Amino acid sequence: MEPRKISPVVQQAVDHYIDQSQTLNQHTENQSLQSLRAKAQMLFADRAFPTQKDEDWQYTKLRSFTQNHFKSQPAKHLTLEQVNQFLPDFPVTKVVFVDGWFNEALSDDLGALPKQASFESYADVTEQTGDFHKLYEHEDDVAKEPFGLLNSCLAADGFFFELEANATLETPLFILHIQTNALQSVQVRNRIDVDENAEMTIVERYVSLDPNQSEAAFTNVVTQIDVAKYARVRQIIMQEQHENAFYFNNQYVFQQDHSNFITFFGSTGSLISRHQNHLWMNGEHIETEQNSACLARNNQTVDSRTDTQHNDVWGLSQQLHKYVLADSSTGVFNGMIRVDQKAQKTDGQMDNGNLILSNKARMDTKPQLEIYADDVKCSHGSATGQIDDKQIFYMQARGINKSDAIRIITHAFLLEPTESISNDGIRAWVVSRLSNGLEKINH
Amino acid sequence: MLLKVENLHAEIDDKEIIKGLNLEIKPGEIHAIMGPNGAGKSTLANVLVGRDEYEVTDGSIEFDGEDLDELDPEERAHKGMFLAFQYPVEIPGVSNKFFMQTAVNAVRNERGQPELDMFEFDEFAKEKIELLDMRSDLLDRSVNVGFSGGEKKRNDIFQMALLEPKLCIMDETDSGLDIDALKLVANGVNSLRSPDRSFIVVTHYQRLLDYIKPDYVHVLYDGKIVKSGGFELGQQLEEQGYDEIIRHYHNG
Ligand SMILES: Nc1ncnc2c1ncn2[C@@H]1O[C@H](COP(=O)(O)OP(=O)(O)O)[C@@H](O)[C@H]1O
Ligand SMILES: [Mg+2]
Repeated sequence: MEPRKISPVVQQAVDHYIDQSQTLNQHTENQSLQSLRAKAQMLFADRAFPTQKDEDWQYTKLRSFTQNHFKSQPAKHLTLEQVNQFLPDFPVTKVVFVDGWFNEALSDDLGALPKQASFESYADVTEQTGDFHKLYEHEDDVAKEPFGLLNSCLAADGFFFELEANATLETPLFILHIQTNALQSVQVRNRIDVDENAEMTIVERYVSLDPNQSEAAFTNVVTQIDVAKYARVRQIIMQEQHENAFYFNNQYVFQQDHSNFITFFGSTGSLISRHQNHLWMNGEHIETEQNSACLARNNQTVDSRTDTQHNDVWGLSQQLHKYVLADSSTGVFNGMIRVDQKAQKTDGQMDNGNLILSNKARMDTKPQLEIYADDVKCSHGSATGQIDDKQIFYMQARGINKSDAIRIITHAFLLEPTESISNDGIRAWVVSRLSNGLEKINH
Repeated sequence: MLLKVENLHAEIDDKEIIKGLNLEIKPGEIHAIMGPNGAGKSTLANVLVGRDEYEVTDGSIEFDGEDLDELDPEERAHKGMFLAFQYPVEIPGVSNKFFMQTAVNAVRNERGQPELDMFEFDEFAKEKIELLDMRSDLLDRSVNVGFSGGEKKRNDIFQMALLEPKLCIMDETDSGLDIDALKLVANGVNSLRSPDRSFIVVTHYQRLLDYIKPDYVHVLYDGKIVKSGGFELGQQLEEQGYDEIIRHYHNG
C-alpha cells in the first residue's frame, strides 16, 4: 500500500497526541499499561486521523477538530453547588468527573452503594498490574475506531463498575462529566459489568460549566458494558456540552442469553457529536433497544451510529433515531444490522426520521442490513423531510400561530424516541433537557 | 351581516378557481353549499379561513364588519372563524388534548379571557365530549393519528365546540360517515346553533341537510354561485342532480 499523504496540520495534531500519550506513560508505574499505550501510539502514528475519503468520515469532517491541540490539564476546582446544579430531579447516586478527572469529594459516597455493587476509579484499577486489563479487554475492536485508538493512547481516568448477580440497583447511577477548561482533552475509559439477573439504570450527562464557552473542548469516551444472562440494563446519555465542544463516544456492549439492554442517546448540539454503539448479541432471546434524539444548529454535526450483531437465535433489536437539523447543520446516521447464519428468528427493526428546518441543513443516512440467516424478520426505514404545510395550516386554523405550530410539531417529532424510557421521572427529565435544546433553534 | 363576500376571485398555482363569488350570511343563519366535485367548494372554504397557498386576486371578504384581506389563518380563528376540514390532518406526537388546550387558550388570550389550566380544560372538554358522544381516550391520542374517518370528522366538530366560533364552515363533514355518526354530527351542530352563530355546510348529500335544515341552499359551479334557494332546493337537487342547473348556466 502506498503511504498516505497526511497534511501538515493533521501531522502536527498526530504528533501532539502521541507526545501527550508519551507524557502520560512517564507518569505511569504500570509497565503493561505503558506497553499497551505504546502499541496504540504506533498504530495511531501509522493511521493518523481519518479524512473525508474514509467512508465512515465522509460527512463528519474533522478539519475544525485537528486545528486544535487539546491538552490534558488539571481540573478546575468546583464547589458542590456548582456541581449540583446539573443533578436531575429524580434520586441518583452521583459520580462526578471534572475535566475528565474522577472527583471523589464531589461524588456521593460510593462506599454506601449496596454491597453487591462496587465502584473503582481508573486509578484504582490501573494501580494493580494484573487487573487493569479489564478496562482494555477488546483492544482489537477499539483500535478499529480512530477515536477508540486515540482513547487507548490517552485514557487517563474512568471507572469500573460491577453489579453482582441477582442484585437490583434501585437508584440510578448518575455519571456527570463537567467540562470547564478551554482546550481540555478529556479521555475516559469505563467498564460496566452487570452480572446474571442483575438490574440497573445508568444515566450519563456531559455538560460544560460555561454553556457559552467560545473555546473548543474535546471529550473522548470508550465504555465496555457487559450484560450477563437475564440481566437488565437501561442507559440514558445526554450530551449537552457547549456549542463549540467535540464529543466522541464508542460503546462496546456484550449481551448474553435473555438479557435486556435499552440505550438512549440525546444530543442538544455541539460542533461535533459522534456517538457509536457496537453491540454484540451473543446469546439466545436477547432484547435490545437503541434510540437517539439528535439536534444540531449553526454549522454543527451530529452523528449517531449503531452496529448491531445478531449472533444467536430469537434476538430482538429495535431502533429509532430522530434528528432535527437547523441552519447549516449536518446530521449523520449510520446503522448496520448484521445477522449471523446461526441467528434464526431474528427480529431487527431500525428506523430513522429526520426533520430539516432549513434549506442549508443536510442529512446523510445509511441504514444497512447484512443477513446470513434465512428465517428472519428485519427491516429498516428512513425518511427525511420538512414540516408538512398541511399540519401548520391545520394548527393555524385552530388559532395557534405559525411559529408556535412549528415549535410544537418539531418538539413532538424529536421527542418520539423518549417514549421508550419507561421511568416517568427520567423521561420527564430527558424531555426537559431536549426541550431546553430546542429553545435555542431559530425557525 | 356576519360574512359578506363580494366578487371574490381566487387562484392557486396561477389557476383561477373562484371566479366572482358573492355570498352574504347573517348571524344565526345556516347556508348549505352544494355542487359537483371540482366546483371549488373546498377552495372557497380554504380562502375564507386564509390559507396562504390560495391567492385572492379580486373582490373582498368582510367578516364581522372587518376586511379580512391581510389576516393570517390564526387571526381569523381568533375572530371566530372555524373550518372543519374535508380531510382533517394527522399530527403525530402531539396529543389531541394538548393541541386543543393550546388552541383554546390562544383564542381566549386574543379575546382577553383568562387561560384555562389543565383541570379547567378537562372539565370544559368533558362537557363537549359528552355532547358528541366521543370516546374520551381520543383526547390522549395524537391528533387524528389512528382515528377512523368518522372519528376524525367528529374530532373536528369537537374542536368546533371547544372554540365556540361565530362562523362554522364544515367542508363535507358528512362524507364517509355512517348514519349513526351522521346523526351525532348533526346533533352536535344543532346543539351549537344559536342566534349569533352561523354555519356554512358544504355537502354533496341531502341527508345531512334533513337533520340540520339550512335556511339557504346554494349551488356552486365553475367558481361561482349559480343558483340559490331555500331548503327545498336541496331536495330538488337530490331528485334531479345538477345537470339541469349546469345546462342552464352554460346557456346563459
Ligand atoms: N393545490 C391545488 N393546485 C392546483 N389545483 C387545485 C389545487 N387544489 C384544488 N385544485 C383544483 O381546484 C378545483 C376545485 O377544487 P376543490 O375546491 O377541491 O373542489 P370541490 O371541493 O368543490 O370538490 C379543482 O379543479 C381542483 O383540481
Ligand atoms: Mg372539496
